[in-house]
Amino acid sequence: MIIDVIIALGKIAVVLLVGLGLGAYLTWVERKVAGHIQARMGPSVVGPFGLFQPIADGVKLLTKESIIPRGADVPVYYLALILALVPSLLIFSVIPFGPSFTIFGKEIKPIISDVNIGLLIVFAMGSIAVYGTIFAGWASNSKYAFIGSLRKAAVIVSYEVVLGFAVLGVILIAGSLSTVEIVNSQIEKGIWYIVYQPVAFILYLFCMLAESGRVPFDIQEAEAELVTGYNVEYGGMRFGLFPLAEWYLNVVGLSAIAVVLFFGGWSGPNIFGPLSPYIWFLVKTFALVFFTLWLHWTLPRFQAKDITDIAWKILLPIALLNVVVTAFVVYLFS
Amino acid sequence: MEYVGLLILLAIMLVIGLVVVFLNTLLGPKTPQKWDDYPYECGVPLYDKNVQTTFHQGYYLLGLLLLLFDIEAAFLFPWTIVYRYLGIFGFIEMFLFVLILTCGLLYAWKKKAIDWQFEIEEM
Repeated sequence: MIIDVIIALGKIAVVLLVGLGLGAYLTWVERKVAGHIQARMGPSVVGPFGLFQPIADGVKLLTKESIIPRGADVPVYYLALILALVPSLLIFSVIPFGPSFTIFGKEIKPIISDVNIGLLIVFAMGSIAVYGTIFAGWASNSKYAFIGSLRKAAVIVSYEVVLGFAVLGVILIAGSLSTVEIVNSQIEKGIWYIVYQPVAFILYLFCMLAESGRVPFDIQEAEAELVTGYNVEYGGMRFGLFPLAEWYLNVVGLSAIAVVLFFGGWSGPNIFGPLSPYIWFLVKTFALVFFTLWLHWTLPRFQAKDITDIAWKILLPIALLNVVVTAFVVYLFS
Repeated sequence: MEYVGLLILLAIMLVIGLVVVFLNTLLGPKTPQKWDDYPYECGVPLYDKNVQTTFHQGYYLLGLLLLLFDIEAAFLFPWTIVYRYLGIFGFIEMFLFVLILTCGLLYAWKKKAIDWQFEIEEM
């Protein structure tokens, strides 16, 4: 019992360090990628290759004056921050980083909670994050923030539905909601589910970009019209939390779930020795994260009207059809 | 037992969230000035002192649609798990369910509930 709790604490420490550290350093990665895409250097002054830039930014954000806008709803204003940050990291609790191994006769799974409703937890956390956005916009008493939060909420609720229907096909084939089980069934069958469910993967990509507010679905940010959207009235580290949660933690979390669902999780040829599964998992996840960054700095954004139209009129019918066809094929071959 | 890790992570995250929320109050300078806390409005005086009022109805319709379709997606999740034990019964049952769902979507479509209801600018 005590040992179990200690093991859980160890796993949580690793996930927190990796999650928050990656979140901070992804800002550097993003600025470097953006720089080179736009034929610039990106951060290069603070430390070698600008590697200390995130630390400098963090210190700067932490030592800013704490300002609450006039007429703001103070408790809700703070609650929004917590509701934005907490769910985005809780997604990491159901991500399996590798196969279970035995150490001192004790089986250890590299996942914080291997529950049989893993995917439902992911979607629940995605839905809770909407409240953070709406509260932030509502409580700041600023029109720009309010419009941004409403737009963002509209985008998320539209793509939430598509996301739910898109992954049904994978669950049908795997027959389980547990993330570990889904990866194991892919390894058993020796095939990645992207081969069986290419349509679902494309739908998932759309939803991933929309849920994490990335281009081409970033109307809530829309620098040219809304400054920065729902977090415009936050200052200092509070301002830093929203992009950290939304742009970095969410993108990494959803990419990892995409790897679990479509790319066979930690499976891959054993070429890095005992660490091979973990390295494969991280490589696949970061390939997807890099793809997201690449899109972000290449494409223009849609109009609000187009975004909801795409979700309800194109993606949702395709997702429904995908579920029916998958169910039929699974019925025929089982 | 598997949920213990999740709960511990939740508790730690709440603490981290609270710390980050109040860290600026501790570390930042305290030099309040008259217009520090003035909400952002392109440098002009606020047009509305309080913006927590009404908003466009299109967002409300989208919320309603989310309730409809997300709850129905929630019905389909357990079905996917037991599908392999249900046989043809499971398939037909689900097919009818999705058919009714599609009718709902088509109805909302026809009623222009999913058209983004921006007013057409009258030039």
